[in-house]
Amino acid sequence: MTELLLNSIVNGILLGGVLALLAFGMNLIFGVVKIIHLAYGQCVMLGMYVVYTLAVQMHLPVILSCIIALPVMGIVGLVLQLLVINPLLKAKANPLTQLLALAGLTIVVENAAQVVWGADLRGINIQLPLIHIGNVFLRTSNLIAFFGALLTLWGLYLFLNRTYLGLAIRSIAQDLDSARLMGINPRMIYFITMAAGGILTGLIAAFFSPIYAVHPHFGGSFTLMAFIIVVLGGMGNLLGGFIGAFIIGVVTSVSAVLTSTEIADIIVLVIFISVILIRPQGLLGIRVSK
Amino acid sequence: MPRSSRLTWERKRPAAMLEIEKVSVFYGEFQAIFDVSLRVSEGETVITVGPNGAGKSTLLKTISGLLQPRSGSITFLGNRLDRMPAHEIVELGIAQVPEGGRLFPQLSVYENLRVGSFLPRARGEATATLKEIYGLFPILDERKRQYADTLSGGERQMLAIARSLMSRPKLILLDEPSSGLAPRVVTRVFEFVHQIKSQGYAILMVEQNVRKGLQLSDRAYLIESGRIVKEGPRKTFLEDDYIKKAYIGL
Repeated sequence: MTELLLNSIVNGILLGGVLALLAFGMNLIFGVVKIIHLAYGQCVMLGMYVVYTLAVQMHLPVILSCIIALPVMGIVGLVLQLLVINPLLKAKANPLTQLLALAGLTIVVENAAQVVWGADLRGINIQLPLIHIGNVFLRTSNLIAFFGALLTLWGLYLFLNRTYLGLAIRSIAQDLDSARLMGINPRMIYFITMAAGGILTGLIAAFFSPIYAVHPHFGGSFTLMAFIIVVLGGMGNLLGGFIGAFIIGVVTSVSAVLTSTEIADIIVLVIFISVILIRPQGLLGIRVSK
Repeated sequence: MPRSSRLTWERKRPAAMLEIEKVSVFYGEFQAIFDVSLRVSEGETVITVGPNGAGKSTLLKTISGLLQPRSGSITFLGNRLDRMPAHEIVELGIAQVPEGGRLFPQLSVYENLRVGSFLPRARGEATATLKEIYGLFPILDERKRQYADTLSGGERQMLAIARSLMSRPKLILLDEPSSGLAPRVVTRVFEFVHQIKSQGYAILMVEQNVRKGLQLSDRAYLIESGRIVKEGPRKTFLEDDYIKKAYIGL
């Protein structure tokens, strides 16, 4: 039993790394563009189909397929900004309209995927070796995903803190008008943010491809998880999201082992609701006084 | 003969850096500014005074491009500003210090200053400008690692002014620099404005502390209910009975 528990905790931490990256993307878009990207998990799903199409249907090497998925998903991000988000911002749509538009987008993306790739499970079918440390079994694919995600987060942290562009992104998130007065063009920053968010979905898709098989409704649960993590950590708070991701990762993994995956979802939501009742601003969020 | 004398007069007049011609600004259906004309010359400090809600801040926001006029024209060094987005106006050399500073609260003092030099033409000189600014405001050097929202009111205003200098502007728009500050701090903030003025920057200031503001200025405008009702050199403003009674409290 302790072995099982230990295994599930380790795997929960590994899952938490990728969830942190997922939540980071959604958080960044919310912080900068002020839009809750409800189709974020669906974009990961699209990315996995891109990897599948390139690797299985077109017989390209898996690594190359994963690399190509990054710019492809970056372009998807740009297209979303152009076709969905810009019109919403231009019309100064209220938050409910924005949510409905993005929720509608998830339906469009999922059904389009079903038309193109069908409803069956699609996987790239590669077997990576298991690693055995003491009584803990680790899948290499999970380890790659975990360290890849942490490395990416570290790179993003440096980018946001050390470059002019990163500084511009952070300042737009804090005060739009002040940022414009510094000579920052918000439209350009929105495009850059959505492209970066898109590339991240491609990267997550690359990490997920050796772990999961994809189907048209694969993204929904990850959108929900990312959203829960973002709210749990405090919306727009990147560090809060990072901590939240590991909490959710470990809780999901451990409760799935102790009970079942269905109960695990319930436990995650119960924790989420409890935190929101006690700290509506999230773990590290700042309370906005009226 | 009369023609040539008019030309001499034109030549004597200092070149207008900023020229606002009959500008009207609306918030939706509500008109905030009516046919306002105003000019600022090179190196000049101009103050716009007037009661709360007269449209003073609106005027500054219209110049900096945060708002767009419905009619009229704004020209800065030969460039039309009235349809230009805010980030391009900064590039021409206009820096606005918004009311209350509007700093980036979760960026450090140093990062706030660095965003100030975001413009490509300012980046190359950022290190030199930063050194100058730390010389002018040593307290910012001491606090450079602190988050902006941990500063006192006066320090924030100082940082906001310093941040605007980082873009290497030619004209600085100051929106109520004394707003919300204790009287003693106000005196210090005006000392800083005076320092900046003596460095040769042109300043267009909007201020409710009329007496202190006028002391710094070369020329003044009085704006009431969105209209310019009086303009003239500092002296006539300081001696004007209406201004004294309504705004200086003498």
